[in-house]
Amino acid sequence: MSYEIPMGPYHPGLEEPYKLNMICEGETVKDAKLHIGFNFRGIEHLAETRNYIQVIALMERVCGICSFIHTLTLCQAMEKLTGLTPPPRAQYIRVIMGELERLHSHVLWAGIAAKLMGFKTMFMTCFEIREKVMDVLQAISGNRVNYAMNRIGGVNRDIQDPLSILAMVEALENEMTRTIIPIFTTSKTATSRCAGIGVLTTERARSLGVVGPVARASGIGQDLRKEAPYAAYAEMDFSVPVVPDGDVRARLLVRALEIMESCKILRQALAKLPPGEIAPPGDSSKFSFVTGTATARVEAPRGEVMYSVSWKEGARMPSRVHVRTPTYVNMPAVRFMVQGARLADTPLIQAAVDPCYSCTDR
Amino acid sequence: MSTAESIPKPASVDPGPYSEKGGVFWYGDSGLNVRDAARAMNAVGARFITITTYELPASGGFRLEYHWDLMGRLLGFTFPLAANTVESIYDLCEAADWIEREIHEEYRIDFTGREYEPLLLREGGVCGVNLQKEVAQ
Repeated sequence: MSYEIPMGPYHPGLEEPYKLNMICEGETVKDAKLHIGFNFRGIEHLAETRNYIQVIALMERVCGICSFIHTLTLCQAMEKLTGLTPPPRAQYIRVIMGELERLHSHVLWAGIAAKLMGFKTMFMTCFEIREKVMDVLQAISGNRVNYAMNRIGGVNRDIQDPLSILAMVEALENEMTRTIIPIFTTSKTATSRCAGIGVLTTERARSLGVVGPVARASGIGQDLRKEAPYAAYAEMDFSVPVVPDGDVRARLLVRALEIMESCKILRQALAKLPPGEIAPPGDSSKFSFVTGTATARVEAPRGEVMYSVSWKEGARMPSRVHVRTPTYVNMPAVRFMVQGARLADTPLIQAAVDPCYSCTDR
Repeated sequence: MSTAESIPKPASVDPGPYSEKGGVFWYGDSGLNVRDAARAMNAVGARFITITTYELPASGGFRLEYHWDLMGRLLGFTFPLAANTVESIYDLCEAADWIEREIHEEYRIDFTGREYEPLLLREGGVCGVNLQKEVAQ
């Protein structure tokens, strides 16, 4: 006999509100349905009521974890409509902020995954390290969450002393190499809870169009930083980790390896930070847009973010802003990941996607 | 060879020439309907990204833009809708499921040939009330 077990919209295993209705037979999940929209804020509609300065602050609030990435994507789209190109130093600062945000997001996820595994010591270690990443972000931007770094044509704040930031990054890398990476890759606790569960095959991953670490953990080596480089990524030497297994452990491994690649990118960007301006000269409050639609994509910590922005010449406000976030395409895959899984594994399986409902319910 | 010329074209359906604008390689007036475009993209192994809806002024209907990724290049198709209906591509492209359901609920556009389950709306929610201007007023 089958029965339905709802998880959410408010549940200790979920960080944000959504609902997973699971059809079970005994302890085995046979199928699941997802419901979202509990946090829907109508941000795309609100964007049409904000001018070109205000809309950046608004879109920064789509997500509290990858707020920098959202303004970066929006600004890149608006730069196409204004014809502005950020100076090289600003492009490097964008890479540095983007990678710090990836570090902080991946370590946050590692902490949450550790908590769901029942590995509380690891949870506390991850959050301690995450605090140090947040300290670096605060040292650069003055803020811990919404950094207000991006503007049309550049960035708002310079990195005055890249060598001191480099020292902080090296200290972080050492701690991660010593604690998080070995524990997640070799610990029996982590392996026994993660190996072989929540499998997403390569074929299904392609069919669903999943992105980011979820795709790379299912053997699909897509990464916009390599395939369609933006900011200064074309000048960075780094690898895209790909693991073919498709299970929770593969997602964990991909993120662990990405932490190391992010540190590698950060070291290069900080060492090579070019001199010069961080924004184009002239009045920073006046921009002229051409009529049309521009689209930009960025590789966020959870995968591809895409913004389509439409403007009419002479207007101060966009006529349309459409946001496609990574969780929006990754989350439907949870239905297939939980099929055949034990009920007790489902909180960890859904968490392995690193879902962000702030983004999804934009 | 330009970037646009290097984009592989499917043998079965010719989508016509590309033009690059605003970061997207747009298919011009290819004459393809939405399902033929999806078949052409599937044939070259493109990854579906999203559908963007534009409500045209003065009840001029809608414009839908379909976006696909092929080896890091963003490809786009535009389809004007005179009425509030368009064929669904869900059976050809599983990844289009949520965005079709969302557009249906937000703009009251009907994707024909598929069944819907509620995505954003709860019981008693009215389709179109979130974003469609006509309904919101």
